Amino acid sequence: MTTSSQIPPPGSVPRRLGWTLALVIGLAALAGLCAGPDGWSLGVLTGPDSDQALILHDIRLPRALGTALAGALFGLSGALAQGLFRNPLADPFLLGSASGASLGVVMVLAAPPLLGPAAAAGWLGELGLVGGAFVGALAGVSLTLLLSRGAEHSTRLLLAGVVVGVVLGAVNDLITLMAPDALRGRQAFGLGSTSFFGWTSVALLALSLSLTLPLAWRFARVLDALSLGEDSATSLGLDLPRLRAALVGILALATGAAVAQAGLIAFVGLVCPHLVRRFAHGAHGFVLLASAGMGAALLLVADLAARTLIAPQELPVGVLTAVLGGFYLLGLMHRRGVS
Amino acid sequence: MTAWIQRILVAGLLALSGLSAVQAAEPPKRIVSLLPSLTESVCALGACDRLIATDRWSNWPRSVQALPKVGGLDDAQVERIVALKPDLVLAAESSRAVERLRSLGLTVRTLEARSHGEVRDALQRLAAWLGRPDEAPRLWQHIEADLNAAAARVPAHWRGRTVYFEADDAPYAAGPTSFIGETLGRLGLRNVVSAALGPFPKLNPEFILRAQPDLVMARTRALSAMPRRPGWGRLEALRRRHICSFDEERYDPMVRPGPRMGEAALAVADCLSTLGTP
Amino acid sequence: MIEIRDLHLDLGGRPVLRGISLDLTPGWTVLVGPNGAGKSTLLRAVAGLLSPQGGSLRLDGRPLQQWSAPERARRIAWMAQQSEAVSELGVRDVVMLGRLPHQGLFGSETAQDRHAVEAAMQATECLTHQHRRLGELSGGERQRVLLARALAVEAPIVLLDEPTTHLDPPHQVGLVRLMMNHAHDPVQPRTVVSVLHDLPLALAADRLVVMAAGTIQAVGSPHDPVVREALIDVFAGALRIENVGGRWVALPEITP
Repeated sequence: MTTSSQIPPPGSVPRRLGWTLALVIGLAALAGLCAGPDGWSLGVLTGPDSDQALILHDIRLPRALGTALAGALFGLSGALAQGLFRNPLADPFLLGSASGASLGVVMVLAAPPLLGPAAAAGWLGELGLVGGAFVGALAGVSLTLLLSRGAEHSTRLLLAGVVVGVVLGAVNDLITLMAPDALRGRQAFGLGSTSFFGWTSVALLALSLSLTLPLAWRFARVLDALSLGEDSATSLGLDLPRLRAALVGILALATGAAVAQAGLIAFVGLVCPHLVRRFAHGAHGFVLLASAGMGAALLLVADLAARTLIAPQELPVGVLTAVLGGFYLLGLMHRRGVS
Repeated sequence: MTAWIQRILVAGLLALSGLSAVQAAEPPKRIVSLLPSLTESVCALGACDRLIATDRWSNWPRSVQALPKVGGLDDAQVERIVALKPDLVLAAESSRAVERLRSLGLTVRTLEARSHGEVRDALQRLAAWLGRPDEAPRLWQHIEADLNAAAARVPAHWRGRTVYFEADDAPYAAGPTSFIGETLGRLGLRNVVSAALGPFPKLNPEFILRAQPDLVMARTRALSAMPRRPGWGRLEALRRRHICSFDEERYDPMVRPGPRMGEAALAVADCLSTLGTP
Repeated sequence: MIEIRDLHLDLGGRPVLRGISLDLTPGWTVLVGPNGAGKSTLLRAVAGLLSPQGGSLRLDGRPLQQWSAPERARRIAWMAQQSEAVSELGVRDVVMLGRLPHQGLFGSETAQDRHAVEAAMQATECLTHQHRRLGELSGGERQRVLLARALAVEAPIVLLDEPTTHLDPPHQVGLVRLMMNHAHDPVQPRTVVSVLHDLPLALAADRLVVMAAGTIQAVGSPHDPVVREALIDVFAGALRIENVGGRWVALPEITP
């Protein structure tokens, strides 16, 4: 039994984590502003000439903001998915959002060669790659909900998600076969990228986060109750099917927005709740918020590394997060196995 | 008094219109190309000195290899491109880089050609943008001349024979509607694949074995491994060495829809003339 | 008060409850019987977690389906048999979840909530753990926390499915005392229904409901010989019930 002197007073550890995350985000964002294809230069911040000011304002600033926002959305989605399915290995791409988004991208890319130049100017062309990914992600999740006939049973939901992922992936492969031009774009989407964030991207990401974060926070208690078991949660008067559907909707919106702008960046959603729990504990409300913060910090650091490790070339940020995430999970497994 | 003012006004207007006409006609002097075929086209149209950067895959002519490389189409280094202050960026359609660069205020023009006819149109439009509209027909005439010369150089005993051109080792064949397929058609060769199958059909290997093409053409790497594929030892064309193999350097102009297509056709014709009789 | 009339319930196509009629009134009632008798299923049905195929289930005169979920949750608290809790939550947060039926999903903590949580944790002796995580506790400690969660609801009807699992003898006895006090509370007597496998403890209840194969064999106080007979009967004569110093005790009948 631990004595009260060993237990930290409640609230202080989460607060410390919050401040640490804010610090990391601030520093990483600032570093991102100084890092360019030709190396570091603090002069950009202290006394930029007109060219540098342009680059700073038009390129690096929206990139830093967009990366932080996208990372926050990934982190939030991961925490939501793990709470919804009570599974520490759940990631936000479980319900068909990734395969749907990828299919959307491929359809936009394959339209001109397959359907002719008229299609490129038509609504598919209007949608663009970003719009296609977003619509695709939402469509994928909707299909999953349809197949599982609502969110009544989480196992059915998961199974439907797997089926949708496989089927949409197959359709994707088929279209790519017929229009090999789309392959390049599909691969790029799969690797993820933070290099194309402009102010429009930032606005869209901010909009999505401002909608999903408060909503998720309000519904966090459902996740707490769910952690006791489905029957216990029902016995507490919760309408689980409807609440689950609402949470799936929030998950779809957050994941869809992030994936549309940044592609399929791996592991951020999976790893953030684990990292948060390693440092601090709390109810789901705290875990959701902290995961968002952790995601922002993580992606900012990954983006920085992607830009500076082999400058002026850029590593695909998704590859970096996969490698880092993979190593972290390995360490986690090893520790669990040892203990 | 009013006549005076009128004359000044007219003169002023004329001068202004002349100025704007000059400004509108100002061709781009700092060009970034993000597609190898566009790089080659720009140089073929005589504007090579105006290129300031290319994508990492552009490798012809030799001079562009020294230019700064700014990534590929999907990982274009946006900041570097902007810092170079180009007045024209050339790219393929449907790439996120295009949207991003346009939103940053750069002039981005996309061109993608998949057939001989589209190459000709693309060259025309590119020449117009470069301010050298007469270069395009001249270049095209040159290419046509090469194509005709190549067709003439094909030995009579090879005309009308069937050819299998392997685009990838899955195996993907180049059909008659593909770019290279069109070139082979110009040379008087028949494709084992019908046009209905599309530009790059993925084939059942049995189809090729049954079709027994008179000629097999592929990358050197693929051709050296081909006889070891199960059943491919039966291909007459392989046994009699009626093959044309292209190393990496000579393969590029085969499949890049650009100004070197005439060169590619000549290379095929030269290969055929070394093959002896079918 | 719960009125059950001729309840039929199937699980996975198999009939589990075959015509159960029972009144659940204030006091401590224990459901006993062999495995597969349908005890847990009956409890789940009363908690509103399963829909019966036939018969009626009334809470305070109204059919259970007519009660809205939050209303029902304020009147009936239920504790699961197998702890499915995979919780990284802190103990206090877990117990506070018991206040959900009163707070609603978006409500905030009131003084009354805090009082209920404290009282529940004190009754189940887990105040010392309140800042630890559920996952860190031993089986018995976790069981007491989950029990506190059920008590924190402050519902007049408390359904506990095998609450003594993982508990050591002192805590088992403590729990029995708790249930008795809860049921016999002078200010607000409550209906406490538990499923227990531990017969010596069960024999301390006010009322025994002896079940077998989905039907009720006998209902009554342990002092009633009919009930005791039924109990020995459903366990196929594997036990003997003796009176020791005024209390009923169950002994395994080993001699052939």
